Amino acid sequence: MKGLLISDFNIENLSSYLKKEPNAPAIESVSVCYGQVSQTLLDDAAPIWSERPDFVVAWTRPEGVLEAFRRMLDCCSVSENDLNEQVDAFIAALHRASRRTAAIFVPTWVISAFHQTHGLLDLSSSMGVARALMRINMRLIESLENIPTAHALWAEKWVQLGGPTAFNERLWYLGKIPFSNEVFKAAARDLKAALRGLNGQAKKVVILDLDETLWGGIVGETGWQGLILGGHDPAGEALVDFQRELKALTRRGILLAIVSKNEEAVAMEAIAKHPEMVLKLDDFAGWRINWKDKVENMIDLVAELNLGLDSVVFIDDNPVERARVREALPQLCVPDWPSDKRLYPEALLSLDYFDRPSLTEEDRRRVRMVAVDRVRKQSKMSVSDLDGWLATLKTTVTVEELNQGNLLRAAQLLNKTNQMNLSTRRMCEADFQDWARQRGHRVWTFRVSDKFGDSGLTGLLSIEVDGSQARITDFVLSCRVMGRKIEEAMLHMAIRWARSVGVRDVFAKYNQTAKNKPCYEFLQKSGLTRRSEDVFVWDVAQAYPLHAAICLVCEGSGVFEKTSAEINRPELIPTVDRLL
Amino acid sequence: MKAKKEELLDIIYQSLDEVNEQLPNEARIQKSPDAALVGGDGGLDSLGVVNFVALVEEKCARKYGIALSLTDTPSEDDDALEDVGKFADFLFRRLNEISPVEL
Repeated sequence: MKGLLISDFNIENLSSYLKKEPNAPAIESVSVCYGQVSQTLLDDAAPIWSERPDFVVAWTRPEGVLEAFRRMLDCCSVSENDLNEQVDAFIAALHRASRRTAAIFVPTWVISAFHQTHGLLDLSSSMGVARALMRINMRLIESLENIPTAHALWAEKWVQLGGPTAFNERLWYLGKIPFSNEVFKAAARDLKAALRGLNGQAKKVVILDLDETLWGGIVGETGWQGLILGGHDPAGEALVDFQRELKALTRRGILLAIVSKNEEAVAMEAIAKHPEMVLKLDDFAGWRINWKDKVENMIDLVAELNLGLDSVVFIDDNPVERARVREALPQLCVPDWPSDKRLYPEALLSLDYFDRPSLTEEDRRRVRMVAVDRVRKQSKMSVSDLDGWLATLKTTVTVEELNQGNLLRAAQLLNKTNQMNLSTRRMCEADFQDWARQRGHRVWTFRVSDKFGDSGLTGLLSIEVDGSQARITDFVLSCRVMGRKIEEAMLHMAIRWARSVGVRDVFAKYNQTAKNKPCYEFLQKSGLTRRSEDVFVWDVAQAYPLHAAICLVCEGSGVFEKTSAEINRPELIPTVDRLL
Repeated sequence: MKAKKEELLDIIYQSLDEVNEQLPNEARIQKSPDAALVGGDGGLDSLGVVNFVALVEEKCARKYGIALSLTDTPSEDDDALEDVGKFADFLFRRLNEISPVEL
C-alpha cells in the first residue's frame, strides 16, 4: 500500500518502521517535508497527491498547527473561541484532503510533561494547557467522526508505551524528531492493525487450548474440581481475567473455539460445572476435543466455521504444539505465549489482530448467531431432504436499498466476504456510497431471519444498467447463510427488478480469487446460462424462481417502480440521501 | 564514573541494533569494529546518524549519569563516524574529557 505522511515534524522514522514492521500490509510511504501541513492538506494540485495514496497519516503537534495553543504554552491567555476556530480550520483542511485518499489517519495531539509544569494552573479554564489539550482532542475526535474516511488514532497510548523517554529532546534538537523510536514503533503497529481492519483482514476467531491455557492444571488428571481457576491464587485470578478478556472479544464479534487434546466429556463437564469459568459453552463457536493431531482438528474446525485459516489466532501454552501448528499451517497466526499465567491477560490484550474500524450490531451478536447456527445444523440432520429442512426454517429475506442506516454493515460485508463474492471488490464506505449514487447503479442489502433467530444483514447485491443489459457487479453473501436458497432469492430480486424496468438480460461476470470458488459453484448450478468461461446470463423474459420456503420482503418504496428509461434520467438516479 | 572500552562497544552495538530495525536488511550495520558507519559501504544516512548518535548519548547518560553531546565534535574527530572502532575511540575520548575513564 502507498502511504503519505504529513507532519509538522520529521516523521521519517515512522516511515521506516511502517516499511520494516513484519506484519501485513506491506507499506511504501513517502513523507512531505515537515512544516508543510496546511499547504499539503489544502492544495489539491500538489504533486504529492498525483499518485493518489491509499492512506494518509496527518500527525501534528498541537503547538505546531495551532498558533493559539503555542501561545498557551508561553503562558499567554487564549480565548476558547480562538482555539476552537484554529482546530476547526485544521479539521476543514483534513476534510478537504480526505477526498484524495481512501483513509486518513489523524493521531490525537500529545504534549510532553515538561509543558505541563504549571501545577494547579494546568487544568484551569483560562490558561490550563492540559485542560485545553483534552478539549481540542475531543473536538478533533468528534469532528473526524463526520468525515467518512477519517480515523482518529490515540497517540497517548504510544507515548505511554514509549516510557519516560517517549518525548526525546535529543532527537528533537538533532533532527526535529519529537519522539523516541518506541513511540514510532507503537504507531506503526497500530497503523498497520487499522489498515488490516479497514481491508477486512482482521482476525475473526481465536482457537484456544484448554489445559494450562484456559485453566491451570490437567483436567483429565485432577477433574474440574482440581483446576487452577479463580480463588485466592495469583495464577487462578489471572486466568479468570484472561477468560474475561476473551469474553470481551466475543462482544467485538470475535469467535472463540477450542482445540484440545482431552476427553470431550471431561472437558465439557469442566466448562459446565467449574464455578469460576467466565466462558460458558455458548461462548464457543465450535470445538474439537479429542486425541487427534491439532493441525487436523484445526483444519476441520475452521472449515466447519466457514472461515479461512488466515482468519485464525491460535493460543496454546505448549511451545511444541505452537511450533507444530506454525509449521503445518503458516497462514495461522500463532503468537508466542508467556509461561507465566499472570501474564496471560496482558499477552492477549497486546495482540493487535482484531482492530476494526467500526462495530455493527451484527458483530456484537455474531457469537450468538453462530451458536444458533449450530442448533440449525443439528436440526438439518433430523430432516431427510433439503426442501423439507428449508420448509421447517421459515426463512424471511428482507430487502432494503443501500441507505445511511445499513451502509456501515454493507461496506463491512463487501470488504470482509471472501467465499460467496462474485467480484471481490473492496471499497471504503465513502467510495461505495459514491458508486451507489451513480447513474444506473443500484445496491440492495439482504437481511435473513428464520425460526432460530436473526442472522442480520448478510447479503448484498449491486447492479449497473447499461442500455438493455444489467450487470450484477457485486453478489456477496455471508457464509453464515450460504446454501439456504438465499442466493437464489437474491438473484430473484435482481431479475424481478430488471424485468420491472425493461432490461433484456442480466449477466454476472465471475472474477476468480483464491477463495471465491463457492460463488462459481453456485453460478454453475444457478440456472443462469453460461455465456463464456466466467460470464453467466439470464434472459429476463423469464422470471427467476423464488424457492417456496423463502418469504421475500421488500422494505421501503420504489424498489420496483422505475423503468429502464427512467433509471438513466439523472433526476431519478437513486441517491442514498434521497432514500433516507 | 568508570567505563571500559568494551562497555562502550556494547553501548554502540545496542544502539546499532535499534538503528538496524529501521534499515533494509542489505543496509544493516554489522556489529564489528571494522564496520563502516557512514560513507563508503556504510549504511547510515543523515537521519540514521541522528538516530544513532541520540541513542548512544541516551545510553551513556543512563549508564554513566553523564549528559554527553556528541555532535559538537572537534575537527580532529571528523572521521569519528567512519567505522564502529573509530566511533568507540571517539566516545572513549569524549567521556574521558568529562571524567577520567578507566581502561
